[in-house]
Amino acid sequence: MTPDTEQKSLFQHYFSDHYSYDELQGDDGNLRPHWKTFFQSFADLGKEEILNRNQDVLRFLKENGVTYNIYGDPAGQNRPWNLDLIPFLISKQEWQTIESGLKQRAELFNHILKDIYGERRLIKNGLLPMDLVFQHSGFLRQCAGITLPGKRNLVVYSADMARSSDGKIWILNDRTQAPSGSGYALENRMAMARMLPELFDGFKVRRLSSYFNSLRNALVNMSPVQKHDPRIVILTPGSENETYFEHSYLSSYLGFILAQGDDLMVKDNFVFLKTISGLEKVDVILRRVDDIFCDPLELLEKSQLGVPGLLQAVRSGNVSIANPLGSSILENPGFMPFLQGMSKYFMGEELIMPSIASWWCGQPKELSYVLENLETLVIKRIYRDSRGHTSKDGTALSKNELTELRAAIKAHPHLYVGQEKVSISSTPSLINGKIETRKGIFRSFAVASEDGYNVMTGGLTRTSADAGNFLVSNQLGGISKDTWIISQESGNNFSARKEIVPTSAAPLVANSGIITSHIAENLFWVGRYAERVLGNARFQRTVMQFISEGDRRMADNDGITEQILLEALTKCSYTFPGFAGKDGKTKQQQPIKELREILFDPIRIGSLHYNFRLFKNAVYAVRDHWSTDTWRVLREMEESFSLADAVTSSSNRMVKALDTIITSIMAFVSLNRESISRDQGWTLLDAGRKTEQSLLLANMLLNTLVIKKDEQVEYNLMEAVLKSHECLVTYRYKYRAHLQLSLVLDLMLLDVNNPRSLIYQLDRLKAYLSQLPKITPENVLAEHERLILEAHTFLRLSSKDSLSMPDMQTGRYEQLNAFLEKMQTLLYSVQAVVSKNYFKHAQSQKQLFTLDSI
Amino acid sequence: MVTEMNYEVVHTTEYVYDGMISLCHNIARLIPRSTTNQFCKKTNVRIDPQPDVMNEYIDFFGNKVLYFAIQQEHKKLTVTVSSVISKDNTAPKTNYYQGMSWEEAKKMLSEQRPEYLDAKQYIPETPMTESSPEINAYILQSFTPGRPLFDAAFDLMHRIYKDFEFKANFTTIATPVTTVMHQRKGVCQDFAHVAISCLRSLGLAARYVSGYIETLPLPGKEKLVGMDASHAWFSVFIPQIGWVDFDPTNNQVPSDQHITIGWGRDYADIAPLKGVILSSGKHKLNVFVDVKRMS
Repeated sequence: MTPDTEQKSLFQHYFSDHYSYDELQGDDGNLRPHWKTFFQSFADLGKEEILNRNQDVLRFLKENGVTYNIYGDPAGQNRPWNLDLIPFLISKQEWQTIESGLKQRAELFNHILKDIYGERRLIKNGLLPMDLVFQHSGFLRQCAGITLPGKRNLVVYSADMARSSDGKIWILNDRTQAPSGSGYALENRMAMARMLPELFDGFKVRRLSSYFNSLRNALVNMSPVQKHDPRIVILTPGSENETYFEHSYLSSYLGFILAQGDDLMVKDNFVFLKTISGLEKVDVILRRVDDIFCDPLELLEKSQLGVPGLLQAVRSGNVSIANPLGSSILENPGFMPFLQGMSKYFMGEELIMPSIASWWCGQPKELSYVLENLETLVIKRIYRDSRGHTSKDGTALSKNELTELRAAIKAHPHLYVGQEKVSISSTPSLINGKIETRKGIFRSFAVASEDGYNVMTGGLTRTSADAGNFLVSNQLGGISKDTWIISQESGNNFSARKEIVPTSAAPLVANSGIITSHIAENLFWVGRYAERVLGNARFQRTVMQFISEGDRRMADNDGITEQILLEALTKCSYTFPGFAGKDGKTKQQQPIKELREILFDPIRIGSLHYNFRLFKNAVYAVRDHWSTDTWRVLREMEESFSLADAVTSSSNRMVKALDTIITSIMAFVSLNRESISRDQGWTLLDAGRKTEQSLLLANMLLNTLVIKKDEQVEYNLMEAVLKSHECLVTYRYKYRAHLQLSLVLDLMLLDVNNPRSLIYQLDRLKAYLSQLPKITPENVLAEHERLILEAHTFLRLSSKDSLSMPDMQTGRYEQLNAFLEKMQTLLYSVQAVVSKNYFKHAQSQKQLFTLDSI
Repeated sequence: MVTEMNYEVVHTTEYVYDGMISLCHNIARLIPRSTTNQFCKKTNVRIDPQPDVMNEYIDFFGNKVLYFAIQQEHKKLTVTVSSVISKDNTAPKTNYYQGMSWEEAKKMLSEQRPEYLDAKQYIPETPMTESSPEINAYILQSFTPGRPLFDAAFDLMHRIYKDFEFKANFTTIATPVTTVMHQRKGVCQDFAHVAISCLRSLGLAARYVSGYIETLPLPGKEKLVGMDASHAWFSVFIPQIGWVDFDPTNNQVPSDQHITIGWGRDYADIAPLKGVILSSGKHKLNVFVDVKRMS
């Protein structure tokens, strides 16, 4: 096809929406010049190639672990990020207006913020109604009088914008609490630059990276003590948060430590980071936690996301927070009608960018206007109520809903704002290989500097889920776009390669190997869960192979072995009652259903899928520690679980899935042995692995070999144990003998050269634990060091011959049993002590209520 | 005639924990502020164990706040605040009954007047002073058309005193005011919140006052030390006059025997002592208050 017909075929679904301003066409019906250039390159790629690249982009985002969490949807956790190949284009001339408009608006909001928490002249002089401030949930009286070092208190400002049907760009919302999206914008650009460099041909697209440098500088400059390298942390609510990917991404990109509330503590009016090597003073916090959640002592008491005493540290001037606590007061649609007046008051300027026509119902005339025109307006609350929607589209409400809304407004008029419904312009989007129209809004960011605000030359564009939809929201399944500011100037040429700045591999500033207690705990558990999945998968595979090879009807012995193995599988994976419960015998007759469940059932405790989910959660909680390859491996494992049918899979299919899982976990471990550069990180992860391996081994031996059985059965069981640990070949090579208990125990417990033996695990574990930061005086062993030494010595002093000596009276290997039980107890104690000393405090914070009364 | 009365207030709060506590952060609003008719001559704060950090400051409402943190292991925390307060009763008594009607007061408050800005922040309801149809109906019985604000508020106080049963441990500080209104039982904090919810539902300014009251022994009995308690009441803003206190628990307009610590929109703004500890265990709380007249 020629480019012309190629273009036509791409556009055949497009030109149907003529209701609103069209991004693509000018009034003369021709393509606008920048779109013409773009679609030339686009068509040059060819339809097939475009679809291929589309797949590449989605894979790139998946493999980078770019996700967005949807609240209230179990499957919504870690939803892959969706990027449209067609960017949102903004011309240079238009951008100049937007940029100066955003700078001005950021400056204005900074003035308003300082005034509200300072003298409140706006209210005294009647420029801003008192109710709009005092009745807004974001007005935090506890923050009055607090100021930041430097000229500007509002550090980051962000605005949602859209083009309306008249072609003008309007401001829809102001974001000042903890604006999200800058990291997604950067990741979108990376994906585009890497996967579709041709599309940038013939364009000079402005780069995004200078915004992040400005952000770094702003944070460094707001440090209470002027020092070269202040300690800056990003405060996140944790991996459940909708934009957690971005918190972690920015933390790697900017080189700031990612901390949750309980990683921090206030002591002596300073904020400290709890690390496994002790407390580190924090100077600046970039917060992604809503302000009222930040301090359970003075703000929201029930919050578990904050740091008790944080406001005292702020008041003492020992820590600076961006944006400052209390800045959510500015996220207030009720301010819109008063912005013009406030702009003149503070700066003597008219606003450059228009905001949507708004009527605040706290005034009688405006109230009656809104009530009379309810069905044509969008109604917003001045602040978000607990997770409820902030806005209602009057044009879409039923009669009853309108009546209800009218009553709600009348009851609390000052809480409501009526806004004109803007008809948002259409923008081309690539949907299922065809170009269609979608409504698009875009968000850009401004960050404070000594002499004004710097605006990101780009931003995050989001489009509605379907063509007619007015609501654009990630929670509702919208799609994102890269946003290109087209510059005509030469010398400012976009180089796709330059935008690809190093991310997790080399942050801008070294994190100097600091590991918070929280990260330490998660790394340890990544190691434990990885081994748990691996160990259980191997065991199940062995059991299933035995079943398919053996013939129960022919050989009694095989039937007995099978029964013991199935029961052991239940006990080792903790999937009770399973084969070991009341109707275990029945299940053993037709084991496939139960085996399928303990493999694929995602909610059955102890199942492989369940453990995989725990593993995945721990991996996501420390997501900036993993290499790109790791995400690919993880994705493969996920797919093998999601493809498997938990109801009908054949045993063949199941063994295949087990093979994939085993290979993937092995790949995960070896990939990270190489790539976790931070020494302590690997120590913790591997310590977790060794702990789990030791516990699994002890447990498997307890459940298979302790009871004396017929020789053939014992032989089968020993073979299964060796097979489950991939040691059968080693055994044959080393001993060149028939399987004997004493030799099996020798190989699995005492052989220092066997990487699957218990002694091998304990050697490593002992070394790792001695590398943890010292918490006791020199020459004094810490409790965990003493315990691991005891376990290690206990193992070294045991003998394979006495362990394999049966007690003829009880018919059990009593010494082996006692040995394994004691070993388990010691290992559990080691793990408990390590948790207590190095991980998060097991105790949770608690409010002291006073109930004194007459 | 005695024009100045001196009181000594000793307020002790004691927490006993199940286990060792290694860190606690606390905020106390226990230091009385000075008002138009009371002067806080001195305050002495004793905390055991000795805090590692103490910050004193004035909050948004002008109350005195003390933050303290204990960063060493402890099993018990004792906070004792002793203050000497002089009450001045020489201020001329206003004839409140001649004052403006409540509708007139409401209208004045809704105007843009700088002198009422401070009072206006006490009009909107808060989570602890929500209104309900029952509350609206209750207030309208006292706030009849054209009735002077003082007179109507006095009647409201009297009705709460009459209609509500004082019952300790029936409510907690988390019991919603609408429940108290419905059950008609509670303690002084609840009664203050009921009155404030009522007044705010009409668009009037009302605030919550935290403090103490001097209790007198029964005739012939000696006063027992430590048996007093902290107290709470409400205050109404009357334009051109100012804030007037009402004590619905004792059915009186506070004068000599009431000592103010401070005020806010509701209990949450002026809670005497709150704190956060790291603990999974339980704790026991003991409070002793003694209000003593000094000669």
